[in-house]
Amino acid sequence: MYWLAVKTFFHERSRLFTTLVGIIFSTLLTITQIAMYLGVMGNASTIIRHTDGDVWVTSRNIQNFDFANPFPEDRINRVRALAEVDWAQRLIISWGFLKLENGGQEQVQIVGYNPDSGVGAPWSMVSGAASDVKGGRYMIIDKTSEQRLGTLAIGQVSELSSLRFKLVGISEGIKSFTTAPIIFMSYNQARLFYPQGQTTFIIAKLKDASKAEEVSRILRDTMKDNDVYTSAGFVYKTVMYWTVQTGMGMGFFLTAILGLMIGAAIVGQTIYANTMEHIQEFGTLKAMGARNLDLYKIIFTQAAMSASIGYVVGTAIVFLTKNGFEKAGVTLYLSVPLFAVVFVVMLLTCFASAYISIRKVRSLDPVMVFRG
Amino acid sequence: MEKIVQIQDVTKVYEEGKNRVVAVDSVSLEVKKGEVLLVMGPSGSGKTTLLSMIGCILHPTSGDVKVDGTSVAAMKERELPDIRKRYFGFVFQSFNLFPSLTAAENVEVVLRLKGWDRARLKKDSVGLLGRVGLERRAGFYPRDLSGGEKQRVAFARAMAGDPPIILADEPTANLDSKTGKEVLGLLKEFSQTAGKAVVIISHDPKAEAMAHRTVFLEDGRLKQ
Ligand SMILES: Nc1ncnc2c1ncn2[C@@H]1O[C@H](COP(=O)(O)OP(=O)(O)O)[C@@H](O)[C@H]1O
Ligand SMILES: [Mg+2]
Repeated sequence: MYWLAVKTFFHERSRLFTTLVGIIFSTLLTITQIAMYLGVMGNASTIIRHTDGDVWVTSRNIQNFDFANPFPEDRINRVRALAEVDWAQRLIISWGFLKLENGGQEQVQIVGYNPDSGVGAPWSMVSGAASDVKGGRYMIIDKTSEQRLGTLAIGQVSELSSLRFKLVGISEGIKSFTTAPIIFMSYNQARLFYPQGQTTFIIAKLKDASKAEEVSRILRDTMKDNDVYTSAGFVYKTVMYWTVQTGMGMGFFLTAILGLMIGAAIVGQTIYANTMEHIQEFGTLKAMGARNLDLYKIIFTQAAMSASIGYVVGTAIVFLTKNGFEKAGVTLYLSVPLFAVVFVVMLLTCFASAYISIRKVRSLDPVMVFRG
Repeated sequence: MEKIVQIQDVTKVYEEGKNRVVAVDSVSLEVKKGEVLLVMGPSGSGKTTLLSMIGCILHPTSGDVKVDGTSVAAMKERELPDIRKRYFGFVFQSFNLFPSLTAAENVEVVLRLKGWDRARLKKDSVGLLGRVGLERRAGFYPRDLSGGEKQRVAFARAMAGDPPIILADEPTANLDSKTGKEVLGLLKEFSQTAGKAVVIISHDPKAEAMAHRTVFLEDGRLKQ
C-alpha cells in the first residue's frame, strides 16, 4: 500500500504545501536552537576540551571556565610532586582592553600559556604558529574577532591595556562564551595582566589518563584551598552552570519544544483533514478487503514523507543561512548526531500527529461505503 | 448450479439507545455461481444491510452466512477482510473511485491489495479495462470520465483478482437510462462468460428483465 500512499500524497497540493511549511519551520527552529545552544556551550568549554590535560586545578568554588579567581602559582609543585603526574602547566585567563584603529576599545579575554609546552595554546591557526608568541610582547588573535576588532594583519601593533603588543598569528574559530575576543599570549606576558605570583589554572597530564578521578581525589585532599576537576568534570561544571544556573538552557529548550509543538499541530491538523477528506476512500479500501494495518501504512507513509521532505528542506535552509548566523557572531554547532536526532524527533512528531487519523480509520465501519 | 453463498435465517438489529431497528429479519437465501440475483424493495427495507452481510462487511445479529461452504458467523472480525478480498468484488452507487488515481491505477489498487504478481499489475489492469471497453481511457483520471465510464471502471475494479461473487448496490442509480442499460448488460455478460455470481440491488425495471431471479424485501423480510 506504500504505492497508494505515494500516489495520493502529491494529489492535494495546497494541503501538502501547508504541511511542509509547518515541518520546515519546525525543523529550522529546532535545529538552530539546539545548534545555537551547542555552539554556546561548545564555546564556553572550548579551551578545556582542546587542551591536552586530564586534571584541572582551579580556585575554590569556581562556577565556570571564564570567571575563575587567581591562586598562588607555586602550588604547581604539589601537583608535580605526585608520581601519577606526567607533567603540569599553568594557564592564565585574564581581561584587558584593546585599543582599536578607530580610537575605540574592546574588552578582550587574555589567555596566557607556556609556548614551549603549548598547553592551552590555540589549536587551529590561519597564519603563524602557536609558539610564535614566545619571547616578547606578541599576541595571537582569532579571525572571528575581526567583526569586533577590524581587519587583522600580521605584524600590526596594538595597545593592550596600554602595553604594546605585536600580532604574530591568527587563529581560527576560537570564541569565548562571553563573546569577548580572545587574545593568546605567552604565560610570562599574561602575568602583566594578573596579580603577581598568581595563576588561574594548573593543568596536569597523567601517565595513565584513566586515573583522572583518583588523582583528582588525592589532590582535593591535599589542596584544600583549590577545586580539582577531571577535564570532563570541568566541562560538565561549566556547561551545567550556563545551562541550569543561568536558565539559559531552558530558554533554548523551550523555543525548541515550541518549534516542535507548532510543527506537530500543523502536521496533525493537515493529516487529519486529509484523512477525513479521503475517508470514503479508506472505507472503500476496507470494504475491498484492506486490513487496518494496510490503512495505517498509508497514513504513516504519508506522515513519514511529509517529515522527510520538510526536514530536508529545513536542513538545507539551515546550511544556506549558516554563514549569515556566523557573521552575526552566532556559533551554530552542527553535527551528524544532531541532524540524526532531530530527524528522528521530527519523524516521531509526525507519527504522533497522525495518531488521531489512525484512530479515525480504525473505527471506520466499511458499511459506510454503501451509504453514499 | 453450485451454491457459492448461503444466507441462513439471518437477522440484523441496529440498536441505538432505546431505538431498535430490525433492518433484516430472518432472511434465508442462496446465491449460485453464474446467476444474476436481483434484490428489490422500497427504500429502508434492508437491502443494503442484507448485501453488506452477504459481502462479509457486516456481522449478522443472528443466523449465519456461508461463503463457499465456510461459516462466517464463527469468524472473528479481523478474519473478514481476507474473506472479502478473496470472494467479493464490490460496485457502489457512487462509484467510489480514487480521484488521485487513473482508471488503470484504480484497478491496480485492488490487484495490489490481493497480492497480485508485480510484473503483471499494469498489463492486467489495462486488460480488465479492455473488458469493459475502456482500454483507451486507462490513463484518465475519474474527473475526466463520464458517469457511465466511471461505473465501468468500477466494474473492472470489482472484477480484478477474479473474485467469484460481484455485489452491486444500486449501480445504475446515478446513471442515465441508456448508460444504466449498458452497465447492466456488462454485469450480465460477466456472470455468463466468467461464471460469476452477481447480486444486484436495483429499482431499475431493466435490471428485472436481465436478472435470472428476483427477490423482494419489505421491512427486512423476504417476500417471494
Ligand atoms: N447503522 C445503522 N444504524 C441504525 N439504523 C440503521 C443503520 N443502517 C441502516 N439502518 C436502518 O435499517 C433499515 C434498513 O436500511 P438499509 O439496509 O439501508 O435499507 P435499504 O438499502 O433497503 O434502503 C432502515 O430503517 C435504516 O434506517
Ligand atoms: Mg440502500
